[in-house]
Amino acid sequence: MQGDRSRPDRPDRPDRAGRPGRPGERRLRAAGKGGLFGLAAALAVWGLACSNNPYPDADETRAVYYTSISEAPRTLDPAKAYNVTAHAITGNVYDKLLEYHYLKRPYELIPSLAKELPVAEELPDGRVRYRFVLREGLVFAEDPCFELGGEGRKTREILASDVAFQLSRVADPATNSPVVDPFSNIQGFREFGKRLSEAREADAAFAEKPLREQYEAAGGIEGVATPDDLTLEVTLAAAYPQILYWFAMGFTTPVPWEAVEYYDGVSNERFDDHPVGSGPFRISRYDKQSRIVLERNPRWYGAEHPEWRAPGAVYPSEGEPGDAEKGLLDAAGRPLPFIDRIEFRREKESIPLFNKFLQGYYDSSGIIKESFDKVIRDDRLSPEMAAMGVRLDKSISPGVYYLGFNMEDPVLGAEGGDRSRKLRQAISLAVDAQGWIDLFLNGRGVLAQTPVPPGLFGYDPDYQNPARVLDRDRARELLVDAGYPGGIDPETDRPLRITFDTPSTSSAQLLRDQFIADGLREIGLDVQIAATTYNQFQKKVKDGSYQLFFWGWSADYPDPENFYFLLTCDMRQSQGGGPNTANFCDPEFEALFERMRVRGNDEERMEVIREMRALLERERPWVELLHPESYALLHGWLDHVKTFGMSFPMHKYRAIDTEARALARDEWNRPVTWPAYALAAVGVAIVLPGIFTFFRERQ
Amino acid sequence: MSAHVLSNVVVGLLFVLGIATGVFVRRNRLWREALFELWRRRRVSILVIGVYVLVALLDSIAWVGGGDVEGVAAHEARSVIDRIFEGTREASYSAPLAATSFYGKEPLKAPSRHLLGTDILGRDVFHRTLKGARVALLIGGVTSAIAIPLALLLGVSAGYFGGRLDDVVFFVMSTLASMPGLLLLIALILALGKGTWQICLALGVTSWVGLCRVTRGEAFKLRELDYVQAARALGVSELRIVWRHVLPNLMHLVIITFVLMFSGLVLSEAILAYLGIGLDGSWGQMIDQARDELSRDPVIWWNITAAGTALFALLLAVNFVGDALRDILDPRTLREDL
Repeated sequence: MQGDRSRPDRPDRPDRAGRPGRPGERRLRAAGKGGLFGLAAALAVWGLACSNNPYPDADETRAVYYTSISEAPRTLDPAKAYNVTAHAITGNVYDKLLEYHYLKRPYELIPSLAKELPVAEELPDGRVRYRFVLREGLVFAEDPCFELGGEGRKTREILASDVAFQLSRVADPATNSPVVDPFSNIQGFREFGKRLSEAREADAAFAEKPLREQYEAAGGIEGVATPDDLTLEVTLAAAYPQILYWFAMGFTTPVPWEAVEYYDGVSNERFDDHPVGSGPFRISRYDKQSRIVLERNPRWYGAEHPEWRAPGAVYPSEGEPGDAEKGLLDAAGRPLPFIDRIEFRREKESIPLFNKFLQGYYDSSGIIKESFDKVIRDDRLSPEMAAMGVRLDKSISPGVYYLGFNMEDPVLGAEGGDRSRKLRQAISLAVDAQGWIDLFLNGRGVLAQTPVPPGLFGYDPDYQNPARVLDRDRARELLVDAGYPGGIDPETDRPLRITFDTPSTSSAQLLRDQFIADGLREIGLDVQIAATTYNQFQKKVKDGSYQLFFWGWSADYPDPENFYFLLTCDMRQSQGGGPNTANFCDPEFEALFERMRVRGNDEERMEVIREMRALLERERPWVELLHPESYALLHGWLDHVKTFGMSFPMHKYRAIDTEARALARDEWNRPVTWPAYALAAVGVAIVLPGIFTFFRERQ
Repeated sequence: MSAHVLSNVVVGLLFVLGIATGVFVRRNRLWREALFELWRRRRVSILVIGVYVLVALLDSIAWVGGGDVEGVAAHEARSVIDRIFEGTREASYSAPLAATSFYGKEPLKAPSRHLLGTDILGRDVFHRTLKGARVALLIGGVTSAIAIPLALLLGVSAGYFGGRLDDVVFFVMSTLASMPGLLLLIALILALGKGTWQICLALGVTSWVGLCRVTRGEAFKLRELDYVQAARALGVSELRIVWRHVLPNLMHLVIITFVLMFSGLVLSEAILAYLGIGLDGSWGQMIDQARDELSRDPVIWWNITAAGTALFALLLAVNFVGDALRDILDPRTLREDL
């Protein structure tokens, strides 16, 4: 390895640099060097005329909203797109039948393309029907694909059949949509998909036909009907009130068959990259490597029919208490959108992104870890940031982090009966979630008392879960009751060993897990962290060989059902890989859940939720830790921003004071000129002696 | 046998081994003079290494019970070092010798007693730094104990006996040497799993090649020397020749390689820790965990400084001693004044 060093060194080569050159040669070299410096200095001075503005000067006064993406979305097909980046684009391009009220919390649905919110109509056989009526005279954004419907056509009217077409696409197994499961509540949804694949397998010619004809030939989805051009009837096999939330998502947006046929067939581009929608914005440039530009859609119903004053086309006039004080109601009743263009610039690294925000070239930003303590002091903006006019927007994300117990584990789980229950209760009392939030999230989180996060129906701000206080003395008493006095397992006469399975092996994560483990070790439980890679962790979960684990969930839609279903028998991990990783299954809970699921948001539903949380207080399949809080930084010129939490873009509500932005950018980007002058001076100092010598020698 | 009993037994064995080596060195003039020369040249470095070894040994002597601790710790073996720092755990960060916590300025449990402050979980950094010594020496020692015998066995047999055996050994060596070391290491650890023995084994597998190559060459040369030829002519058995004439003449190489390899191994572990597959409690892990702390404002510098300095001081001392050892033991770099 190092043995070679013992060899005697080779004799040094003659040193060339030391050889004296002829006098003239040396001078010439000096002059050349000086010339280079001079050139550099000249370039530097010339460069002073330029600015660091990454955008064209003409856009300075236009209402362009600048934001960033780290990577272009894989697909913009609304039947498939299911991540934040894709939704930021599809949400602006595709309008849905329903959408969310911008300001109200708990979240509330308002009609968008539909005239009004449909009412559940219970049919005698237990089925439930929803009838959506579309507005008249809605048209798609202009696009070449509509030529398929007739020479020279640029757009066409939006019909109920376009929504039915999109639902068929979601059901189509070839689309591979991630949300087939919730839509399977629609009568005949899965069967339609099955018929479709069977027909394709049986007949190769069938599979070659355009999708629209295939869907027609397969008979359509039984529970989706269009009695007339503008009416859509959706029939569910059983009550599932949450279906309405899915009609506020891209999966149910009207999609013109022409677009799919044209881009996936005729033009050989991809529908994934060519959204054709009906939203307030349309794509004007789609360059995955550098930027994505959306501009106003002149054919949007809000622009064509301002007289409708549709709820999705004017700024809301009511909100949550406190919104008026924040100036969020100033624009009440004004037509949307306020901005002309949205530019998504690709930024791969977080530090340049943050620097451009500080220079005023992005309008909003998250807070990067590296700068957190510089930006936030004592939970408020630092004076430097406040002086720049930056505002801090705190919002609680509709999600929850928790520690879960594997309820099928013999020691911790259901089969251990009262003994295991007490053990789980003891562990629940010994986990210091507030300490965890303070140490590792810079305090950005709200203690979780139940699975349901703030902003959703069923969240009770006054409720304190008695099982979620930090009380290690009580925990020790519970351990005694459970038959583990001092944490000692009487069978082995050693502290009870529990594995804490985590899906990350990084040192930073280890500290976070260690904090929890140390808290439990204090009451005498020998908690061993089993840190594996994410894949190995998945495998452990699949095999059921885990005890205590750390996990999180983020809302699909703002309904308590979307959180409590994580604890239902059908969703058990052990029964087909559902998201109930705790494998909790309790008949009493099941009955309560069923009542809660089908009930509208009223006092009785709240009462059921109270019963459910009381049951969880006792059973403790989870130790609820926190609801994450996100901090966003907003420049002073950005108006009407209320963070939405779920991934629905709300760009149409935002406004930009372009004058203030131009002024601020000017002020924050004054070029620092002295290094250029200094460099020029150094260049001159080097060149001049060369020139003097040259002339002297000449003489 | 539980871990702490094994650890205590090993300390005992090392003690006996140390005495035996001392006796051997006292009786052998060559080694005695060499070591005396080493001491003359590298007093400070040897003292530094001595301190590290002492700390590591103290941290290896552990027993259950006693002291004033709660929870699981009361049922676990705690080492002498652990017992010194008992009851000094704070809530979170505190600066070196501070009387209050870093954020919030709450009074500490052990004010002004944290020589190097505390980390994010409130653990004493000086304590963790001292405990790192055991991990570092364990990695260096155990890995060497795996790699050196392996390298000697393969190298000497290949070099001395030659032929087919030599071909095979050389092929294995070339194959291993042509694989990127770090990738091989990561792959091995992923295959073997995380843990002290696994990491030492993985490091051992990837680090024997260098010494093997040197010993093979040396044995190849020694085999042709007159006294070996003479022994063979007298009918001495091959194994006896290897034992009596070849191995002793390789010992200086082994010692030099051991010392130099040692620092390389400790450093490798630090790199592995940075990739998240190091050992718990190593300096590498401390440095990795302190990564984010440097970007905090005000900066939290004591974790990374403590671990970095401890690592640096040990490696520097070991390298100094290694270089001196080479000068003293290797006949080719023999100096006039020795």
